[in-house]
Amino acid sequence: MMDNILTNIIFLPLFAAVVLGVFRADTKYLKIGAMLSSVATLFLVLFMTYNFDPHAGMQFIKISPWIQNAGISYFVGVDALSLVILLLISLLMPPLYIYMYHEKRKGYWYNMMLLQTGVSGAVLSLDMMLFYLFWETMLLPIFVMIGKYGNGLHRYNSMKIVLMTILGSMSMLFSIMYIGYIYFETHGIWSFALNDLASIDFNAQTSIWLASGFLLAFAIKIPLVGFHTWMAPAYGSAPTPAVVIMSSIMAKLGIYGIWRFGYSLFDSTLSYYAPTIITLALIGLLYYAIRAITELHLRRMFAYSSGSHLSLIALGLFLGNIYAWSGSLYFIATHALASAGMFIVIGLTYKRFNTVYLDSLGGIASKAPRFSFFFAFFALSIAGLPGTGGFVAELLIIIGAFKVNFYIGVATATTMLSAMVYIFWMLQRALFGTANNEREYEDLSFREMIMLLPLVVLLIATGVMPSFFMQIFDPFLVSTLEAFTLNSGGVK
Amino acid sequence: MLSLIVVIPFLSALLMALVYLADTKADRYKFYTIVGVGAPMIITVLSLMVGLELVSGEETIHNTLINWLSVGELRIEIAFMADRLSAVMIAFITFIATLIHIYAAGYMRGDEAYGKFFSYFNLFMGSMLLLVLADNPIMMFIGWELVGLSSYLLIGFYHTKSSNITAANKAFILNRVGDFGFIMGISLLFISLEGTGFTFESIKANIAMIDNETLSLIGLLLFVGAMGKSAQIPLYVWLPDAMAGPTPVSALIHAATMVTAGVYMVARYSFLYIEIPDIGLFIAYIGAASALFAAIIASYQSDIKKILAYSTMSQLGYMFIAVGLGAYSSGIFHVFTHAFFKALLFMGAGAIIIALHHEQNIFKMGKLKERLPLVYITMFIATLAISGIPPFAGFFSKDAILVNAFASGHHLIWAIGSFTAFLTAFYMFRLLFTVFHADSSDTKELASLPNSMTRPLVVLAIGSATVGFLGVNEAYGGSSWFNNFLVLPDSAYHISHTTEYLLGALNVSLGLIGMFLAYKMFAINKLEVKEDALYKKVIINKFYIDELYVFFIVKPLLFLSRLIANVLDPKVFDAFINLNVWTYRKSAVIFARLQNGKVRYYALYILIGVSSMSYYMLFKLGLM
Repeated sequence: MMDNILTNIIFLPLFAAVVLGVFRADTKYLKIGAMLSSVATLFLVLFMTYNFDPHAGMQFIKISPWIQNAGISYFVGVDALSLVILLLISLLMPPLYIYMYHEKRKGYWYNMMLLQTGVSGAVLSLDMMLFYLFWETMLLPIFVMIGKYGNGLHRYNSMKIVLMTILGSMSMLFSIMYIGYIYFETHGIWSFALNDLASIDFNAQTSIWLASGFLLAFAIKIPLVGFHTWMAPAYGSAPTPAVVIMSSIMAKLGIYGIWRFGYSLFDSTLSYYAPTIITLALIGLLYYAIRAITELHLRRMFAYSSGSHLSLIALGLFLGNIYAWSGSLYFIATHALASAGMFIVIGLTYKRFNTVYLDSLGGIASKAPRFSFFFAFFALSIAGLPGTGGFVAELLIIIGAFKVNFYIGVATATTMLSAMVYIFWMLQRALFGTANNEREYEDLSFREMIMLLPLVVLLIATGVMPSFFMQIFDPFLVSTLEAFTLNSGGVK
Repeated sequence: MLSLIVVIPFLSALLMALVYLADTKADRYKFYTIVGVGAPMIITVLSLMVGLELVSGEETIHNTLINWLSVGELRIEIAFMADRLSAVMIAFITFIATLIHIYAAGYMRGDEAYGKFFSYFNLFMGSMLLLVLADNPIMMFIGWELVGLSSYLLIGFYHTKSSNITAANKAFILNRVGDFGFIMGISLLFISLEGTGFTFESIKANIAMIDNETLSLIGLLLFVGAMGKSAQIPLYVWLPDAMAGPTPVSALIHAATMVTAGVYMVARYSFLYIEIPDIGLFIAYIGAASALFAAIIASYQSDIKKILAYSTMSQLGYMFIAVGLGAYSSGIFHVFTHAFFKALLFMGAGAIIIALHHEQNIFKMGKLKERLPLVYITMFIATLAISGIPPFAGFFSKDAILVNAFASGHHLIWAIGSFTAFLTAFYMFRLLFTVFHADSSDTKELASLPNSMTRPLVVLAIGSATVGFLGVNEAYGGSSWFNNFLVLPDSAYHISHTTEYLLGALNVSLGLIGMFLAYKMFAINKLEVKEDALYKKVIINKFYIDELYVFFIVKPLLFLSRLIANVLDPKVFDAFINLNVWTYRKSAVIFARLQNGKVRYYALYILIGVSSMSYYMLFKLGLM
């Protein structure tokens, strides 16, 4: 059971999709099948988490040769870093399927299942080629979902996200292949396994070039400022479940990639890039937040919001001390929960009022109090409301920034202000004011509450007892940081 | 027991929120009243027990709930600590909050969101108690932030009117600007003391580790937080607008919770501020400026609640003068006495507003002396108290502050304080005489006031008249019991009893002159505010500070946002991406031209190809 558990987790959704597809299942069975696959996966992940040992490093490893001539193997394993993201994706899928309850377009369901396999595979892969494969697999369903089921200029926008992302992927692929080639030259055999490649000592110049290939891919995925023009159009056009996955999970994979591959392959070279990325992240933090103030389209507004917070996460990562790192990793989790909740309620807003433009909303609070409560709760938790996990994460990143130096600390602390202006103005225009009497204000149904409650509970739990959740990854961070400081003398 | 004091309000808020969300339409007046008012009653008793324990000799009481966070050297527990300072704070906070809760049960009766109101109300109180009882700066900061959040929720309680939400946003945003400073102060403090623990007690023990320059920076940054929360220049503009909330909320914000937090914070960090007198002096000057500024504006307002709001800001100025000059106990004493009469003034104003069917302009009121006798008598006592007329509570606390200011040698601060004392008496009696004495043609039937609204007024009036005796100093034959009980590291300023009597006499006469002037001007005729001179126009428009904020902060932000939306994103960043697309397209056109289907062109390509190949083989490879 434990031996193949990761494989089961990765391929269960895909397997379900294939079975359902072969039997050409009705929408009714498709729904049940998808839901069952996601719940089963969630149970597997929770079971594995229960058996997970935070102190043991990489575990549940499975290696089997795959394309032997090229040294590519099926090599998966899980440590605290991948566990966090794996937990998130498996937690988010069931609520998303509940959200899609009335969805009749079959392709939509298949794409979601494929997406889950892609994401889980990407975070669990320890072979670079395997990682690349899953990395691209994630993009396919997003392309289809925006292009086929999106709204607005969806074809143009889906093309844009795919082309920009592929640009990054290609540069990453070149780096991967070149690293593999260097390994072949020194060892005489091919291998793409991460632990083999990590043993190579590059000369400084090569290392900088190779790292830039990876960093470009991750910078576009996050996106750092300057690489971001795909973001708002794609978020704006994408259907809600796709947006949730993009903002909560896929953007975080950019950070994950730097953490996993950047620090294993080129730890000292990252110090070379650190000042640039810290600067970009600090600019992004404010740039996106200021941009969001005048945005009227809710999904686009929270696209910018997401960009702003991901800049903060990237910043925390490159600050390179235990406070900032814990904050970043914790923020990955709590921001995923908050932004998933937010994009779902925005989706519910669209279902009710057929619009997500702020200037045509308003007055919801007086007619639909439950709806407003959830809406405001998620918005406030994005703004870092104390008592929710985001607050803890931001606090830690700010402290980490002050540890590096005072000025970076001050610039980082602006996160206290940046989200607030657009969030509170948004709440005012979306929820408050007088209600439009010709409009029907339907409050949340039981099904919708069930879908949102786990997110609310988790957000509060992560805010009230963070040390309970952090114990999963604390040893991982401490040991990684030690190794990193040993190799490069820390980020300067 | 300490954790119960904090947890009970939060739990009651949660319970009411769940019940409310389960069925928002149901009328559960009894349930909400019992839970909503019961919670503060229970914790008042608990707070008194804590107080008694400390009086009977305990130094501090500790109580740890759970381990909250443990990262690197940052080990934070959800833990509470009561020393004498926090015991005094919780004693009056819970007591006055209970009265306000009882009052609110009458005031808010019939509101369709009654349950929501009490849920927010208890959240507010819980946050404030967390702030006061926290045993480390991080927990205090959480309470600090939650206070801001609850004030946002309560100020915007009547949310169908957009201007109320604007007021709520303003309150939260300006508070967050303060918090921005506050969190930087905390972070810097933590980094400077990394590894020595981060509870107030350990910080106090290790404060000498930090060099003076850093310490000044920390003190300044923490005070920025206090400027926001306690509405001092320049972060005060939210306070007058906060009147948008229901009146009990105003009473709670101004008397028991929120605005006093800044003063408390400075007193809590007194071990830090005592090391940096320069920053202390800065705080005192900010306080003096705020006191005077607010008093001037208050003298020209016509909305009853706004006058009271500015008067709070002005009184807070006094408190900051005290704590800035190192007279921490005097500052806290004024917080304490002020809580009684300010709560009373707001609740009285609320009673008038309800009785007059939601009229708030004092110049539309008048002759209420006979029609609302109880409100009149109680408010009269409160007005005497705030004006510093002996033997009412305000006299002793305000006099102590002014004496300290004089004795410290900063005579400018003292002069501003004394002049403000005169203005205070003037604008407060202006309010009282206009509302209760001046003529009025209004004969509309008054709405009746429930007992739950009037009884608390009586209790508070007794308090306003008497609590000052707790802190009577030696010059007036007392023993400064209050100050001695607090054991704060006060700067000792010595001054002869004669000077003290002179200063006291001066203050009282200034108060009486203000009162007399107000009587002459407002008791018989109504002297409405007219914008007939430039200076009046400036004052009535509150010195155009709001407009300055809009011009220097809001407008540039919006401009920047539009600049990004219309120029930077599409014309710079996207232009680069689109340039690539354009290049592809253009090169496609060029290459398409090559493949045009005409044989003579293809013959040319063959010719070029063969010639280059021959050239390469001939000269480069040397085959021939």
